[in-house]
Amino acid sequence: MAAKPGSAPTTYSPSLTQKTRPPIFKGNDLDWVRPDGRGFHQCRPAFFRTGAVNSASGSAYAEFGNTKVIVSVFGPRESKKAMMYSDIGRLNCNVSYTTFATPVRGQGSDHKEFSSMLHKALEGAIMLETFPKTTVDVFALVLESGGSDLPVVISCASLALADAGIMMYDLVAAVSVSCLGKNLVIDPILEEESYQDGSLMLTCMPSRYEVTQLIFTGEWSTPDINEAMQLCLDACGKLGKVMRSCLKEATSASQE
Amino acid sequence: MGLPNASGDLSTEVEVDAFRRLFPLRFYEKHLSESIRPDARPLGRARDTTIALGAVASANGSALAKIGSTTMLAAIKMEVMTPSTETPDEGCVAIDFHMPPICSPIVRPGRPAEAAPVVSKQLSDTILSSGMISLKELCLVSGKAAWMAYLDIYCLDADGALFDTALLSAVAAFSHLEIPVVSLNDDGKIVLLSEEQEGMSEREPVNKEKRKLTLCSIPFSLTCILHKNYILADPTAEEESIMETLVTIVLDSSSQLVSLYKPGGPVLAYTSAIQDCIAITRQRVKELQKILEEAISVMEVD
Repeated sequence: MAAKPGSAPTTYSPSLTQKTRPPIFKGNDLDWVRPDGRGFHQCRPAFFRTGAVNSASGSAYAEFGNTKVIVSVFGPRESKKAMMYSDIGRLNCNVSYTTFATPVRGQGSDHKEFSSMLHKALEGAIMLETFPKTTVDVFALVLESGGSDLPVVISCASLALADAGIMMYDLVAAVSVSCLGKNLVIDPILEEESYQDGSLMLTCMPSRYEVTQLIFTGEWSTPDINEAMQLCLDACGKLGKVMRSCLKEATSASQE
Repeated sequence: MGLPNASGDLSTEVEVDAFRRLFPLRFYEKHLSESIRPDARPLGRARDTTIALGAVASANGSALAKIGSTTMLAAIKMEVMTPSTETPDEGCVAIDFHMPPICSPIVRPGRPAEAAPVVSKQLSDTILSSGMISLKELCLVSGKAAWMAYLDIYCLDADGALFDTALLSAVAAFSHLEIPVVSLNDDGKIVLLSEEQEGMSEREPVNKEKRKLTLCSIPFSLTCILHKNYILADPTAEEESIMETLVTIVLDSSSQLVSLYKPGGPVLAYTSAIQDCIAITRQRVKELQKILEEAISVMEVD
């Protein structure tokens, strides 16, 4: 007897009584503290695990604080859509959210653009010519959104591709930086993202030092851009090492 | 020298893996005649089962359940609604089952799996008719406000026995559910009371303390495959695709039958077969009850 057809009751999620929660920082304040107590240039601890989904060719699970993402890779398999003949393989990406991923139920569908952004971030790293005429599907599900969702999805997806044995030039690591007032904060959480004046996301192949995607939005000054990019590149390098060690652990565990 | 038996010849010469792919049914029957399954289980044994409570921080209640490699993530979000005039002191539970493309190679974006709406309907029928949840407990202010519990179950990995795992995760999510403390504001809206406001606020909370739902007669289920005279408990996706007659039995914690579902299939079940299935399910319910109790006690220690 749930939600009788035609008369689905409209619901709302109860909010806090205080309408305006104190903002996490004020105008020119330079030494505010991040809600989770991190330093401005400190990333959340990253956790990766490959082989999360047995029915997929390859898969990975990533957890950065409250951001939890699972990515499955299927293929290379027959291209389903009636498409033109192609000498090189195709990459098909899809990102979706669970209905409970966001603080307010069902807001995850606002991120339609993530699928194509994931595609563009990975495309340059994959050797598409190694699987001609076929398609590799990369499907991501955001289990819980805790900020910096897209960079986590991208890093997790490249790990899942590696787990599936898809040939790549290098792993792809992604990190974002938010500009809040005068400060640059790396790997922002959801609350920080809601206050940001601008954001920058950089995805790169750390061992080749090549950038596959770079996205700026909002208000930036040139020195800030330079600083943010350097921050991202350094963080990507470190993230790449974490991802690499996760892959090594998985293979050494399977050999035993 | 006579001609060798064609199938016998194949089964000795062809590699096991190839034989499994070429003659899946014969491969299984060879195992079944030895009372064993390819994954080394006896016929009536279910796969390893685990439950982890509180997997999703943004939900009011959540649980991750695994049976073998079939994985389900269930989460409950509580929202407020105006109850209908016929039932002014009852809340509502909305149950939805999702099979996102990550869970199986047969599901693709834009083309949902056929199984998803079937499991979804079965789940809401079972949960709402088992009497596990009293909808009256979801009432906040009679006639004005009641809870709407949105239960969403996501299949993260599909390897058979989808309904069993989904039901287990749903039940576990309900036992983990903590209803937030709320009060009624001047505009007649329900608002959250944060921890520090409690007690010192001029507004009385509508629901006094952090409440848990009282769950009576929790339903547990087991799916079995009927094939010839064999009964295989808790099938994998491969087994389900080869032997198509499934029976799903739902019993509650006091071993009363909640539902029995046999969606056709080439094997016509005799009463004795059904009774055997119920007997296996009864054993399984005890196992599942213990696993759930353990998961809850681990949560309470933390």
